[in-house]
Amino acid sequence: MEQTEVMKPETLNDLIKVLHQIFSSDTVNVEEVQNLMESYESKPEEWMEYAQFDKFRYTRNLVDEGNGKFNLMILCWGEGHGSSIHDHTDSHCFMKLLQGQLKETLFEWPDHKINGGMTKKSERVLQENQCAYIHDSIGLHRVENVSHTEPAVSLHLYSPQFDQCNTFDQRTGHRNTVKMTFWSKYGERTPFTYYCGKHIVKVALCVQ
Amino acid sequence: MDVYEGLEGEKVLNLSRLNLDNLDLDDVGEERKRDTQQLFLVYNRFIMLPGSICHFSNLVFLDISCNRLAFICEDILRLSKLKTLVAKNNRLDEFSLPKDFGTMSLEVLNFSGNRFEEFPSEFLNLQRLQSLSLGGNRLKSIPAEIEQLTSLELLYLGGNSITSIPPELANLPYLSYLVLCDNRIQSIPPQLAQMNSLRSLSLHNNLLTYLPREILSLFQLQELSLRGNPLVVRFVKDMTYDPPSLLELAGRTVKSRNLPYKPEDLPGNLVRYLDLASKCPNPKCGGVYFDSCVRHIKFVDFCGKYRLPLMHYLCSPECSSPCSSNPQSDADSEDESSVPAHRMQKVLLG
Repeated sequence: MEQTEVMKPETLNDLIKVLHQIFSSDTVNVEEVQNLMESYESKPEEWMEYAQFDKFRYTRNLVDEGNGKFNLMILCWGEGHGSSIHDHTDSHCFMKLLQGQLKETLFEWPDHKINGGMTKKSERVLQENQCAYIHDSIGLHRVENVSHTEPAVSLHLYSPQFDQCNTFDQRTGHRNTVKMTFWSKYGERTPFTYYCGKHIVKVALCVQ
Repeated sequence: MDVYEGLEGEKVLNLSRLNLDNLDLDDVGEERKRDTQQLFLVYNRFIMLPGSICHFSNLVFLDISCNRLAFICEDILRLSKLKTLVAKNNRLDEFSLPKDFGTMSLEVLNFSGNRFEEFPSEFLNLQRLQSLSLGGNRLKSIPAEIEQLTSLELLYLGGNSITSIPPELANLPYLSYLVLCDNRIQSIPPQLAQMNSLRSLSLHNNLLTYLPREILSLFQLQELSLRGNPLVVRFVKDMTYDPPSLLELAGRTVKSRNLPYKPEDLPGNLVRYLDLASKCPNPKCGGVYFDSCVRHIKFVDFCGKYRLPLMHYLCSPECSSPCSSNPQSDADSEDESSVPAHRMQKVLLG
């Protein structure tokens, strides 16, 4: 049989178990993972311990390290919190809404021959339980919680794992490499990480 | 974001999603009424805050979001221990609050997603208020009296129709998180640069074309979002200059030559006028100006990454901006005036 049937995971732990199975092979079937993640119906009591918010910006909270094959994390977005435009270091990126809504704006890779801003491809608002997929071959994106009244929580899977990416200035296409850190790991708040790069010092940097 | 410490058992009463339009507490024991510290009435059909709520004499936290509230009755004043009131997504406006609402000892107030067109004056007396959210309403302005909320640390006003920011906002000594995104703000008062407590400033999706130069002095700022503003990207020659009046010339002379004067020497209006002198930032000039000045936009590198258009004022067209002897060089980015990298951890411009 070419494709194994995807069982609907009833709990978050079920989902993690099946993800471990799927990622034990070397190839990733994007559709399979996306359908699997979408089929898990979000139950707040199962992920609440990872949903640790910061008032200033969105947070990244590590849930599982996938035996080194992937990172599974929960991102918490307060009202108005958003990310910069960024890439995904050639990794697969799955993003599922656990609570609230997130707006995803897709951008073309900047073309240095063209003066002026980066080209917006499309935008959409992801609803609860929906799962989006992106890869550098598709383009770049910005993710934001545009609600002024509701926080949002999303579940992200990245494979292979990566801890740095590029952020882009929408007006110029200028890019910067940034290192990514976690606000918490396995439900435990992890201390600030200082990174002294050539141009940037980050305090608990959270770039998706 | 109202993050609260979840309390166990008897202290929390959750009456959410029960289709309630009144609060019948006959089935709630006296002890329970006394012990309850957190009450959730979210997603019901209340049109008014139920008067019976004051039976919860020790209530600290009340969430009555997602109802049909048009009015909050005086009974709420009897909740003397109430610290947090969340009433998001209702139908409240500036006429909905009881007269003495300002006497409550509230610390956290979230009225986002309502119908406020004006800042309710009752809020301005809440001396203990630390966190205020009026996101997603219909506010057109922020009153100068906002400076009375001296305990304020968090102010969320995103998603309104605000066109300008009163300089008095800068007088809030503890404000660390200021959200003004998704409004119609055209300029930032330079006084905001005095806000040393500010850690995060959200200005995205407004009508800003430039920022005041003084913003560079916000050395504690870690987050600044500016995307979705029509920020000037190329050098703009804006040298409109009205010649100074005789009054201005006299004032400039008095100030720049330090001519001594006492308040008794001059009419009161002239003393006040002289107090308004602004120093020209041109280090070679050292002069002052009053009403007559030149607006000058200069590009500054932020953390070696972004070029932001900053506006400052010079006392005459002959003056040049600090750190630049050649006005033409303002067309390119100025390394000498770039913000040190450690100052701005993250500028969400793009």
